[in-house]
Amino acid sequence: MSQVVSALFISRKDIESYYSKPPLVTWGILFPAVLMLAIYVKDPATYLNVAPGIIAMTLLFGSTSMAAIVVTFEKRSGTLQRLLLTPVTHRTIVLGKATSAAAYGIATSLVITVGFTLLLGMHLVNPLVFGVGLLLGAGVFSLLGLTASVMVKEVFEAMTLMNFLRFPILFISGVFMPLESLPAWAKPIALVSPLTYVVELLRFGISDQSYFSPPWICAIVVAVFLIFSWWIAGPAFRRKASR
Amino acid sequence: MAGGSEYIIEVGGLCKSYGETRALEDVGFNVGREEIFGYLGPNGAGKTTTVNILCGLLDRDAGEVRVCNLDIERDPVSVKQLIGVVPEESNLYPELTCKRNLEYLAELYGLSRTARRKKVGDLLEIFNLADRGTTPFQTLSRGMKRRLTLAAALIHSPEVVFLDEPTVGLDVPSARDLRTLIQTINRNGTTVFLTTHNLAEAEALCNRILILVKGHVVTEGTASEIRQNVEKTRTLSVILSADVEGKSLSGACPAVRPVNAKDGMWHLEVTDTHAAVSQIVSFAEKQGVRILEIRTAVASLEDAFMTILEDKVTKREGRT
Repeated sequence: MSQVVSALFISRKDIESYYSKPPLVTWGILFPAVLMLAIYVKDPATYLNVAPGIIAMTLLFGSTSMAAIVVTFEKRSGTLQRLLLTPVTHRTIVLGKATSAAAYGIATSLVITVGFTLLLGMHLVNPLVFGVGLLLGAGVFSLLGLTASVMVKEVFEAMTLMNFLRFPILFISGVFMPLESLPAWAKPIALVSPLTYVVELLRFGISDQSYFSPPWICAIVVAVFLIFSWWIAGPAFRRKASR
Repeated sequence: MAGGSEYIIEVGGLCKSYGETRALEDVGFNVGREEIFGYLGPNGAGKTTTVNILCGLLDRDAGEVRVCNLDIERDPVSVKQLIGVVPEESNLYPELTCKRNLEYLAELYGLSRTARRKKVGDLLEIFNLADRGTTPFQTLSRGMKRRLTLAAALIHSPEVVFLDEPTVGLDVPSARDLRTLIQTINRNGTTVFLTTHNLAEAEALCNRILILVKGHVVTEGTASEIRQNVEKTRTLSVILSADVEGKSLSGACPAVRPVNAKDGMWHLEVTDTHAAVSQIVSFAEKQGVRILEIRTAVASLEDAFMTILEDKVTKREGRT
C-alpha cells in the first residue's frame, strides 16, 4: 500500500513539474486539433470515420512522448538517481512515472474529444467503452514509452526511437484508414499492434461500430498488451535506469 | 536500529568490474557506529563505485555488503530507509523550490504530513536556508545547493549518511560551513561515510581513514597511524649559529643525511631521531657553533598518501 502511495507522490510531482506547463499542454492538443479540422473542412460528411483514429493518435503521442522525455531528462539531470536512492521499488517508480504520462495522454485526448463534441457535433454512443479504451491504451503506451526511454541517454534518442515505432504503426492500425480497407499483407501486422485495438474501442465508443465482433475482445487484447508492457518495463528499468 | 552488530557497514571481498576494467578488487572494511569514516583515493580509485554499491545503485560482482545489518541487494528498500546519500553532483529537482524538494522526499520516505512540515522547517533553519524556502533549487548558489542536498539526505533521520566529495567546487567559507555541519550531524549520532581526495578535510573530520588505489585497499587506520606506517624516515630542520660544511656534518653524524641547506637552515633526513639529535649536539660543540633551532617535521597525511601512491607505482613498475 505504501508503495502505491509513493507511486502517487511520484506521479503528482511529475505532473507539477512537467505536464502542467502551458507549452506541453498546447503541444499535445494543437497538432491533433488542426489535423482534425483539416479533415473536417475537406469532407464534413466522413470526419467521424477518422475521429477515433485522431483521438487514439493523440493518446499514443501524448503518453509515449511524455514518459520518454521525463525519464531521459531526469537521467541526465541526476534526479532519477535521487529517486532511485529513496526507499521505493523500481516497480513503484515505473508505476508513478507511467501514471503521470498516462494522465497527460488521457487529458489531451479528452480535450480533443470535448472539442470534437462541442465544435463538430460528435457524440459518444458508448462512453464507458470509450473510457476503457482511453485508460487501457494510455497504460500500454506510457509503459512502452518508459521502457524505450530507459534504453537511451538523450531526449532526442528517445524521440527517434519512439518515432521509429510510432509512425509505421499509425498507418497499419486503422488510424487514417479503416482496417477493412487495408491491403491483405498489412492486416496480420495490424493485429499485433496495440493501437489497432485502442482505435477500435474508441470507434465503438463513438459510433457503436467495430471491425471486431464482439468489440470487448479489443479490451481483452489491450489488457494483455498492458500486462506484457508492465512485465517488460520493470526489468528494463532496473537494468538501465541507474546507468 | 536493525540488528546488533558493532559495525554499521560491513564489507568483505567486494569486487566490481566494468567490462575488462576491474574497479574494485577484494575490498573489505568495517565502519563503526557513529564514526566519521574517510574513504580516500585519487580519481578513478573506485570510491564512487563503492558508494553506489553500498547505497543500492549498482550491483556488485562478488563479496559481502551489509549496511545497518541488512544486505542491500536482498533488502534494498529497508536499507534505503536507513541511509542518506549526498552524491558528488547535487541532484535535487531544479524546477522545484527548496521547500517542495524536501517535502517531496519526505513523502517518499513515508513521513506523516505533520512530521514532514516540522522536519522541513527544522532542516531549512539548521542549514541556514529558511529564507530560501520558496526559491527554486536551480537558482541557488553552489554552496546553498550542497547544503540543501545534505539537508535532503537527512530528511528521514538516517543512521548512516554517505557523502561523496561533499566540498568539491565550493569556496573556502562554504566548504568550512559544510564541514561544521558534517561534524554537527555526526555529533547527533549519525554515522558519516565520507569519500574525498581532500586530505586535509579527511584529517580534520575523520576518526578513521581507508586509502583505496586502483580498486585495492592499501591502508586503513587513524590519520596518525597511517602517517606512522609510512614514516620510514623523518625530517629534522636545524639552524646553526654559523655555516658548516655538509660533508663534515654527515661525517660526524652517521644517523643524518643532509638534504639541503637554505637561508642557514639545514634539512636533514634521519633514521633515528634520538641518535641524530645527540650527534648534532656533539658536532656543534666540537665545531664551536650554537644550535639556534632544531625541530622534527611530522609527515602530513598528504605526505603519507603520496608515499603510498609512489610505493604502489614502484611496485607496479617492478612487476612490469
